Amino acid sequence: MILIRSKTMRSAIKVAVPFVILPLLTIAGAVAFDQKKHIIISMAVAFFALLLFAAGFEKRSTGTRRMVIVAVMTALCFAGRFIPFLKPIMALTIISALYLGGEAGFLVGALAAVLSNFYFGQGPWTAFQMLAWGSAGLFAGALAEPLKRSKPFLLFYGALSGMLYSFIMDIWTVLWYAEDFSWKLYQSALITAIPYTLSYMVSNVLFLLILSKPIGDKLARIKIKYGI
Amino acid sequence: MRSFSDYHPIVIAVWFFSVTGVAMFCNHPPLMAIALCGGVLFFGVRNGLSHGRTHLYFGLLFTVLALANPLISHNGKTVLFVLDHNPITLEAVLYGLNSAAMIVGVLYFFRSFSQIMTSEKLLCITGALSPKLSLVLSMALRSVPMFGKQSRKIADSQKAMGLFSEDNIIDDIRGRMRIFSILITWALENGIVTADSMAARGYGTGRRTQMRRASFFAADWLFLGLTLGLVGLCSAAVGAGRLKFEFYPQLRAASPGFLGIAGIFAYAVLVMLPLINETGVKLKWKRLMSEI
Repeated sequence: MILIRSKTMRSAIKVAVPFVILPLLTIAGAVAFDQKKHIIISMAVAFFALLLFAAGFEKRSTGTRRMVIVAVMTALCFAGRFIPFLKPIMALTIISALYLGGEAGFLVGALAAVLSNFYFGQGPWTAFQMLAWGSAGLFAGALAEPLKRSKPFLLFYGALSGMLYSFIMDIWTVLWYAEDFSWKLYQSALITAIPYTLSYMVSNVLFLLILSKPIGDKLARIKIKYGI
Repeated sequence: MRSFSDYHPIVIAVWFFSVTGVAMFCNHPPLMAIALCGGVLFFGVRNGLSHGRTHLYFGLLFTVLALANPLISHNGKTVLFVLDHNPITLEAVLYGLNSAAMIVGVLYFFRSFSQIMTSEKLLCITGALSPKLSLVLSMALRSVPMFGKQSRKIADSQKAMGLFSEDNIIDDIRGRMRIFSILITWALENGIVTADSMAARGYGTGRRTQMRRASFFAADWLFLGLTLGLVGLCSAAVGAGRLKFEFYPQLRAASPGFLGIAGIFAYAVLVMLPLINETGVKLKWKRLMSEI
């Protein structure tokens, strides 16, 4: 992979790829293919986004300590997925992102998805799950300051990301089933998914409420103590 | 010649993604039928008659998926009957069957993929792409059983100190919360110790190696070449529009011609490739045994 030396160039690419190139690819795909193959484009987009992130992580010099902490948080998320009905994975991702930054948040979410799917079944959805959980962490990292300051905002963010996760995964279900996007199918998918959506939202809010203070304090302490 | 699961992880991954990729990006009914049969056969040959629940679940899923489309979508010209003022069309029924075959076939392949592609093989692939990411993954994998062991240790010592009892629910929950809290503190601190120890031993100063020395042998190249060649032929047929199939408003298939038929055959051979390989291995084994 090519290493880009100029810092402004690098950050320009970092902004351009997710916000300009990937949407353009989506639109171009919708126009070029006869409006049927959304699934190819959506998978390509998910794949490129993950690849881009992996490349960026590889080139950055991340401290060993930081990497190990990311691995520990990933393992905690992974273990948490075994709890029935309630899923602490997204809440833990958000908490990691608040204290370790967006990139670490993305890694925790994405890696927890791929690892836990070894137990829960890998599938074409793994890429989307990685992207969805990862972005929940990425955005939480970007909004870290206001989220840390106000608890209601944090809980709102948790509920919103749980809802969006469910909605995004349903889009993918519909695309997979029907190739062409149909609102009718999407609506019925959303309606059948209501219990799941609720369970995501409730568990996000619940775990953020219970865990954000104790785990956050521990992460903050580790950060101060060892200067990560 | 080796058994399919002993090939290089990249070869295995390429084969899986080729097979499932063609199935997912194409809607030609013969291809879907091949994908479904191949997926069931591959899983069945690997697991024998066990995994009855998996088959039951997938059979149920197939039924639900096949029924969902005609009940929701009323496109298509040929009305079979009218249900509750909603026309059920032949096209929608066939479309549902086709989609269900694709999804269940791909799910079967991914079930086998999960069995063959162990986390160690995944680490081999990610290690080639990004050693750092692979390190984080493998450390997270190792941490999970380690956390289990440590939390039992913590629970034992907490109980030995008489700090909580299990017969009182509130006491039990509070005790568990405390164990969890101790575990996280320990995990983070232990992580720092691990990191310092890694740094002291020279992590990041040289090229990293892997536990498994995966290297490409002639058979790997052969398998990879065959996979790519067959997928290429199949994609050429799809790309040239020979395997176009439209369900709505009326069933219409493009005339496949020579290329289209070749594409379908190529896909069938591709799906059967590991089974052919496995049969060859078994025959060789028998021959060698008979010569003893």
